[in-house]
Amino acid sequence: MGSDDSYNFVFKVVLIGESGVGKSNLLSRFTKNEFMHDSRTTIGVEFSTRTVQLDHLTIKAQIWDTAGLERYRAITSAYYRGAVGALLVYDISKHLTYESAERWLKELYDHADPHIVVMLVGNKKDLETLRTVPTEEAKDFADKKGLMFIETSALDSTNVEAAFNEVLTAIHKKVASKEVTRGSISAVTLSGSLGLTRESQEEQKGCCKS
Amino acid sequence: MDLSLCSGAQTCWNSAEEVPIGVLRQREAKWLEMLNSWDKWMSKKHNKVKERCQKGIPPSLRGRAWLYLTGAKVKREQNKGRFEELDNQPGDPKWVDVIERDLHRQFPFHEMFAARGGHGQQDLFRVLKAYTLHRPEEGYCQAQAPVAAVLLMHMPAEDAFWVLVQICEKYLPGYYSTGLEAIQLDGEILYALLRRVSVVAHRHLKKHKLEPILYMTEWFMCAFSRTLPWSSVLRVWDMFLCEGVKILFRVGLVVLKCMLGTQEKVKSCQGLYETMELLKKINPQYMREGFLVQEIIELPVSEKDIEKEHQAQLRRWKENHGDLNCKSPPRMHGAKAIMTAEPPSRQELRQRPTIIVESPLASKTDVVPEDKAKGRIKTTNENGQTTVFPTEEIVNPSDPSPALEHMTIQGSKESLSSAEQDTYL
Repeated sequence: MGSDDSYNFVFKVVLIGESGVGKSNLLSRFTKNEFMHDSRTTIGVEFSTRTVQLDHLTIKAQIWDTAGLERYRAITSAYYRGAVGALLVYDISKHLTYESAERWLKELYDHADPHIVVMLVGNKKDLETLRTVPTEEAKDFADKKGLMFIETSALDSTNVEAAFNEVLTAIHKKVASKEVTRGSISAVTLSGSLGLTRESQEEQKGCCKS
Repeated sequence: MDLSLCSGAQTCWNSAEEVPIGVLRQREAKWLEMLNSWDKWMSKKHNKVKERCQKGIPPSLRGRAWLYLTGAKVKREQNKGRFEELDNQPGDPKWVDVIERDLHRQFPFHEMFAARGGHGQQDLFRVLKAYTLHRPEEGYCQAQAPVAAVLLMHMPAEDAFWVLVQICEKYLPGYYSTGLEAIQLDGEILYALLRRVSVVAHRHLKKHKLEPILYMTEWFMCAFSRTLPWSSVLRVWDMFLCEGVKILFRVGLVVLKCMLGTQEKVKSCQGLYETMELLKKINPQYMREGFLVQEIIELPVSEKDIEKEHQAQLRRWKENHGDLNCKSPPRMHGAKAIMTAEPPSRQELRQRPTIIVESPLASKTDVVPEDKAKGRIKTTNENGQTTVFPTEEIVNPSDPSPALEHMTIQGSKESLSSAEQDTYL
């Protein structure tokens, strides 16, 4: 998708959270505007890109999606490498998937860049009648941990755009701020290992402009 | 390679890959003959069995052939009632919950698995739950679901369960265990073998630091069942269940070679992400049944190569990570190795269809129903000879071509009479 477009930045964002919370559908809703009730389980890694305009900048978002089952965490260090943003997803109708957020967070900070932008995402907002995770409870938890927070529905599209765009904006803010450009691996790897060649010059220009 | 590979069915290497009905009937006859004297064929004519798996097992007999190749038939006979016993237990709620969440997410477009709570999904639940009870220390791993689903498309739940057990324990030990160490090791083995198959592809992956687990996890854990077009999946499985994991390595190597094997190809995908994207969208021409099978057969990567590389990677692993956490049993390289390790009795190999339709065409009974069989076994023992196995003169396995004419007639009768006694058709 849009690999030949010119862009100013490439941001790698990972989706994490328990199996069945809707990570793959958040990905497909954001990158292809698609939703599938019976989407296949994710085994290994799935990914997709979408290029978005934020202010006057073109940002190519590489969204990575992986299996949520505990067993697969053994192979996720390669998955986190170079990620500058993460959506930690739980299902608002399954409290257990929310309870494991803390574990996922630890996992993330163990493997990813310490400056990574993290958003806690309560998905399946359309299942309001089955809700077991109160919004306030999750919001308090997010505040306490310094995470962004939003509730989404990949099914009816509620807040999906907003979730990704807010994370991308926050990443850009961090990258643009001096504090992060120096010393942060993620900002450096943006043009390094995420694979820019032909477009790298435009990227450079973009960087200077911003 | 034997010339007979092409006898009668050159078409199997070409496109469309429709096997002419006459050829199919002949193959069915040959497979019935093999299944009837499985131990003899496996010990004396194993190469023939291998060739016939490479040509593709006739669809009508595929389930039964897989059951025999994997040794699951023997396992089932040795553990009578075991599946039923596991099936009747409720299962650990922890696993039941995860399995239930996955039931509607396996081949959702296949008619058998499309309906929520339909018979396909019910059987899938039974098989996966039974496995978690059979190996409580292993539990359930998501990649087991598509594997079990492919099996259920070909055989009843009990058989699918035992084939799954054999795949998890003999063909791919440790793949689905906690820590997923075995799959990581195989990723390294694949990468090391690639250097010999395509220097260009190997160099490209190295340059972009693309770790094998990022592209091969799904390929290997699901035995390519979610990657290849369906006809190719079945052909790959026919060979995989006969020859073992080397087939998965060869498929992986062929794909990597075809997609990244020339300077031109790698030039157009600069970067880790672009390479992953490319490997997700394998060019359909490389996955076409005829092309892929031919490439797999011709690729010179042997069990020995894999074992050698396995040892090397294991040493590296120990240096970097210490001992393996999960001690898996040694890997068995295919049907022959499994049978040699645990030689079955004839009793355990006997075919026991549950439905018998008496047919006037079936002049000769080569299968006997369960209850009658018991009586028959007795007399067999007393007489000291077997009467249930068909004679070998129907097919001369070493020389099929001259007998072709004769075979067709014999074969179709054989096929017909047996078909009417078949459980899976």
